[in-house]
Amino acid sequence: MSNKTKNEPVIAYSELAIRNNLSIVEYCRTSLAAVSGCTAGVLGLTGSYGAIFFILAVTSFWLMLLCKAGVDSWKKFFISRKSLLLNGLFGHFFTYILCWTFIYGMVHVY
Amino acid sequence: MPATFIHRSILTIGFLSLFHAAYSAAQHRSYLRLNELDFTYLPHDITIQALISLFIIMYGVLHVAGDFKEIKASAELEDKSWETYGNIPSFYTFSHRGGKCSNTNSKTSLEEME
Repeated sequence: MSNKTKNEPVIAYSELAIRNNLSIVEYCRTSLAAVSGCTAGVLGLTGSYGAIFFILAVTSFWLMLLCKAGVDSWKKFFISRKSLLLNGLFGHFFTYILCWTFIYGMVHVY
Repeated sequence: MPATFIHRSILTIGFLSLFHAAYSAAQHRSYLRLNELDFTYLPHDITIQALISLFIIMYGVLHVAGDFKEIKASAELEDKSWETYGNIPSFYTFSHRGGKCSNTNSKTSLEEME
């Protein structure tokens, strides 16, 4: 126990700050899913091209998020950067499909 | 830095640009339908405009949403002194001996002065 604490000092995190950061990220990702779905509908993507476009959009948003937090200093704001990319991916994918099909129908079908 | 007017206007411009791209795409489809042509792909300018406006909206949303806070618990306390942090209002005492001892504040001394 004492050896462990000597090697890695315990870091106390402020729960309020973590909650605040994650809620900001969640807000951004939800709106990103909706807007990228609209863009995919405008572009008229079909089938697996739409899924690939979603993956590209999410990845580029993740990179922009890390740029905003700072490439070196993201550890100040988030515990893990992998969970920033992967958390709730499927839930956002359904939002994406909703907007994608809706805008595709508005622009290309009618 | 907090969300400024510039970021909000960037977000608005992105949405307007995306809407314009969508309208152009719909116009292109109706043009194809009237001339009885087959749809192969969108014109490149509409595609590029839609993609650029997506990135503009991403940037705007990211900055309008707010700032991140440092998650270390000690980050908030670093610029505060111990006197600020150890301040407990429940222990304030106003009816202490100071009022009796000092002559300037007590009622009797005021009366004597008059």
